[in-house]
Parts: sequence; structure tokens; C-alpha cells
Amino acid sequence: MTDVNAIEIVGLEKRFGSTRALDGITLAVPSGLVFGFLGPNGAGKTTALRILTGLAFATAGSARILGQDVASAGNRLRAQIGYLPDVPGFYAWMTAQEFLYYVGRLFGLPRSLIAERSKALLEMAGLTSVRSTIGGFSRGMKQRLGIAQALINAPRLLLLDEPTSALDPIGRREVLDMIASLRGRTTVFFSTHILADVERVCDAVAILQRGRVVANATIAELKRRAAVDRLTIEIDGELESLVADLGRQPWVRSLERSGSRLTLKVADLPLAQRGIPAAVARAGVGLRRLESGEVSLEDVFVDLVGPNEQ
Amino acid sequence: MNGFSAFLAKELQEIRKTWRIWVIPGMVLFFAVVSPLIAQLTPTLITSMARSQPGVTIVLPPPTWVDAYGQFLKNMQQVVLIAVVITGAGAVSGERAWGTAVLTLTKPLARGAFVLAKVFSQSALLVGCTALGTVLCAALTRMIFGPAPLWPLANAALLWLAYALLLVAVMTLFSAWFPARGAAAGGGLVFLFLGLLVAIWAPAARFTFVGLLPAAGKALAGHPAATFWPVITAAGMSVVSAAAAVKIFERQEL
Repeated sequence: MTDVNAIEIVGLEKRFGSTRALDGITLAVPSGLVFGFLGPNGAGKTTALRILTGLAFATAGSARILGQDVASAGNRLRAQIGYLPDVPGFYAWMTAQEFLYYVGRLFGLPRSLIAERSKALLEMAGLTSVRSTIGGFSRGMKQRLGIAQALINAPRLLLLDEPTSALDPIGRREVLDMIASLRGRTTVFFSTHILADVERVCDAVAILQRGRVVANATIAELKRRAAVDRLTIEIDGELESLVADLGRQPWVRSLERSGSRLTLKVADLPLAQRGIPAAVARAGVGLRRLESGEVSLEDVFVDLVGPNEQ
Repeated sequence: MNGFSAFLAKELQEIRKTWRIWVIPGMVLFFAVVSPLIAQLTPTLITSMARSQPGVTIVLPPPTWVDAYGQFLKNMQQVVLIAVVITGAGAVSGERAWGTAVLTLTKPLARGAFVLAKVFSQSALLVGCTALGTVLCAALTRMIFGPAPLWPLANAALLWLAYALLLVAVMTLFSAWFPARGAAAGGGLVFLFLGLLVAIWAPAARFTFVGLLPAAGKALAGHPAATFWPVITAAGMSVVSAAAAVKIFERQEL
């Protein structure tokens, strides 16, 4: 079954009255990847995950997980997935050990297997020596327990909704390391608005903006695409006249200055490659470097969703 | 019904480990103990209060086991049923509000099994504590008032229990239906008081579940009471309420 996409979404829509939370998203997540579902707050990430887990129902379109339609799938499908919601709700009177035992029993696992996996997962979550009930846990501890409970059934697909948003930097690093360690063993699909997390652990990413998928590729591919219209030049000498000259060129879409370096977004790359040396000559300055611009995931994200929506 | 037994076990464990053990079982056992004592002390108290008023003389017959049993049934009808409404109001809506339903229902547990486990666990709690309370009340009554027949109390307790179990199913329905616990509790109280009101009309009391509580009173007093239709309609209404709760919950988004 490794050749089947872990997730296939086609034209998925979700409306709340007149509001379209999801506006026909189409997405395929290949098996075995750590896949980032990136988008600003309110983009529709949680809604999509709620539909995938059967907690909410789509208005139109379809979603398949591990080859099964989520609208009609039941316990057989749920037995193969692990899920951590953005704010996990636990029974406050249980201990972490009791909760993992309870979840293991819901999956119908034998007691000996639950005991074995609980031990390993509590160790991974750093909760082995914690004896208090979950009611006394910090948010970070709950989040780590949330990931542990999502792994008790050794899922083929792990769905995580904003798993790091509530964590301090150390807790965040631990969770990201935990996610990275699952690469190749299971498919991980996690939503987040934290770009650094995606850049650190994801193989591929889909960017969601106002209920639509605006990009879906590997991170390297996204950066390569975004770099196509970017050029960086480094200059010896006064930049004022060169900046003024470039600002007048119709093929320059935007221009950023940082010290002796200029980063240009251009509308016509061949024209820019010929026009920049000419402008440098007209300004009477020296050209130290001219190359394709380096692009971060943040640049890609801002390009796609706008600067104020992160 | 995958996961049903695991979830039911969780429900029973939750009753044992949280405040829920103190509410209904605590109340039933408390009333089982104090009802015979109150029955014995009431005439003495009233007589001594009357003595303090010049010219007032109250003569009461000596209390008997009927007064003890009657006091127990009255407390069960007036207080415990309201507790059943209040605790039942949060059965499903509480899990939804705390987010625990989300973690549980993304595991191999059908929503129907989730709802039915709630009905079963609450019913098991009521059956257990009513049986224990009835035996305790009968034993204390025998200690205080001498030999007393068990059947009138057992009969009345069974009729009360049938009504309480119906209320559990109805409250599970309201709790699945209304997102807010307060709304579910309000609906339950309206159902309870409307039932008591309608029971005044003799045909309704004879042929529907609203007749269960008046029949319990009659059974205690040794009067014959028609219980066939009240019991049958209560059982039917319980099944319909539980099924409706399952259907409603299956269509809800969490």
C-alpha cells in the first residue's frame, strides 16, 4: 500500500453560512513524507483536519485517507490513524499512564503491547517519572502526551494540528525532533503557521490561504520557483543613482536594499540580466556580484499570502 | 461496537474516581440512613414545638415503618431525580466542551457506542445505589421500628428506578442535542416537572410513564396500582430517547 497517497483531497469545500472556510481545496500527500500544512491563522487548516478525522463534514468534494473515503469510513480507518488536535482535551483525573492504557484499549490492543508501547512513548515524551494526574500538567506536558497517545497504535498516518504552537523553545525542539524521527516509518501531516518548524522537519508543504491551496510542492521546489524572478546584486560605490535608475525600469517589480546589496524581483528575467549591467555602467559603480536570489520559505510564504497574514 | 467496553470501563472508573461517586450514590445512601431516623423523630419534634405555643396541642400517632419508607421515597422523588437531571445534563455536552470527545472519537469508537456507554454507566450507577439504598433503608427501619415487610419498599423502589432510568435516557438525549449543559439541564427539569403535572390527570397516569411515581407511592401504602402501561411506555420511551440521542450525535460536528 506504500504507492497509495496517504491523503487525497479533491475539491473539498466547507461553508459555515455564507463563509467559505474551505474553498475547493485539492491536495495529494504521498505516503512516507513529513508534510507541512502551512497557512496563516484562519486559513482553514483546522477545518480541513476536522473533516479528515470525521469530526466535521464537508459541504462538497471528497477526501480519502489511506485509500478510504473519510465520509463513509468508520472504525477500520480510525484504527490506522493517529490524531492530535490543536488543544487536546484529557480526562484530568487520569495519569498519563492511565490515559495511554485507555487509548490503547480503545484501539483494542492487548495489555502486554499497551504496556510495552506506553513505556517507550512516555519515555519519548519525557513523562516517565511523572506520577501526578493530567489535571496538574503544563500545556507543554499535555502536548507531549498528546503526541504519545497519537502514536500508541503505531499509525500509518499521523495528523497533528499545530503541535508546537503552545510550546516553549525547548519543548518545540523536542516535539520537532520527535516528528523528524518518524520520517520513513509513518506519514506525518501537520498543520502549522510557524515557518521555521516546516523548514526544519518537512519534506513537502502545502500552503493554504483563505481556504485555498496556493502552493503544493517540496520545499526545495517552492524555493526554486520563487527564486526564478529574483536577482541579487552587490555593488562597489554609491548606490543612490543606481537605485533611482533601476526603479524606473519597467521590468523591475520590487527592489530591496541592504548595505551594498540590492535584491530585485523582476518581471522579465532575460531583460533584467541584460539591463542590470547597463544600469550599473550608467551609474558609474562597480559590479561585484550578480546572481539568482536566495529565497527563504518566509519569502515564499509572504509572496503567496501577503506580508500581514502570518 | 469497537471500543465500547474500553469506553464503558472508563465511564465506570470516572464515577469511582471523581465527584460523581459522591452525588447520586452519596445522596441515596444518605437518605436511606436518615429517612427512618427522621420518621422516628418527627412526631417528637412536632409535639415539642407545639408545647411551646400556649393552647396548642398536637397529638400524632406513633411512627411506623410506613413513615420511614414514605420519607425515603419522598426524598428520592424530590431530590435524587433532580440530581439525575443535573448530572445527566453534562453527559455528552461536557465531553464536547472539554474536548475529550474529540480525542476519544478519533479512535475506533463509534459515536453510537459513545452515547450508549453513557446511558449504560449512569444506569448501572442508579441500579447499584438504589438497590444498596433500599436494603440499607429496610435494615435501619427494621432496627428502629421492628419487623417491617420488604416488598412494599422494593416495589416502590423498582417503580422509582424505572422512572429514573427513563430520565437518564432523556437527559442523554438532551445532552447530545443541546451544546450547553445549562440548556440540557433546563430541558430536563421541564420534562420532570411537566411529568409530575400531567400525572395528576388519571388517564395519563394509568397509561403512560408519568404514572410511575404516583404508582410508587400507592405501592408503598399497600394500595393496588396499575403499573403495566407505565412500565411499558417508560421502557419504550427510554429506547426511543437513547436511539434519538445516538442519531443526533452522529450528525453533529465536533
